[in-house]
Amino acid sequence: MSTDVIRRFARCRRDLFVRQQVIRKEVTRQALRYITRNETLPTRIRQQAQLAINAYSRHARPASIMNRCTEAGRSRGVFREHRLCRFQFRMKALNGELPGVKKAVW
Amino acid sequence: MSFTPVPSKDRLLKLAQLTANIFHRAYNPTGQRVGGKILRKQLIGPAIIKWYPRQLIPFRRLRLALPEVELVDAREKQRLLDAAQKRKRGKGPPKKGQGKRAKIAARRKK
Repeated sequence: MSTDVIRRFARCRRDLFVRQQVIRKEVTRQALRYITRNETLPTRIRQQAQLAINAYSRHARPASIMNRCTEAGRSRGVFREHRLCRFQFRMKALNGELPGVKKAVW
Repeated sequence: MSFTPVPSKDRLLKLAQLTANIFHRAYNPTGQRVGGKILRKQLIGPAIIKWYPRQLIPFRRLRLALPEVELVDAREKQRLLDAAQKRKRGKGPPKKGQGKRAKIAARRKK
């Protein structure tokens, strides 16, 4: 079931697309960022680098990545460690599908 | 009382320059921002693409990739079977000009 989270949820598809875009642009983006932050370079070049970064699509920004639940596609309440939202995490943990996770009783 | 002589600022700077030269360090006495911290950062690409589990390859793409292997698409087979059954009961797709829209258009012409 978890293998087709991309096929089932358009928002997950979109997020995957964003991730791919970020990866594609990452190296050049970081290089441009380095130029803009380097105070020893001429101001004009730094400005041009900043403009080039601004011209990138919004998908090239790492901040536009949203960590979604890999089971339900939910964006809120996602545990990063298991990549699951809280409800899916609970269900899987109770089913014993998450090694090392145990319901606390005291 | 012992007195330790304090070296002048110029001499200290020269010392810093020399140390930087010897140990291959950057000499930046004014503390200008050089942006090295951006270059030092690890690329996040390999980490972020791993978030979603690997996807199943769609059947169509599999068949395109392996044209020499005869593969049976179970879903497509079932669809054809269902369509044949429907046609048998007279529930198949209407012929050209006998659909709902064509009928309405014909009535309007009258």
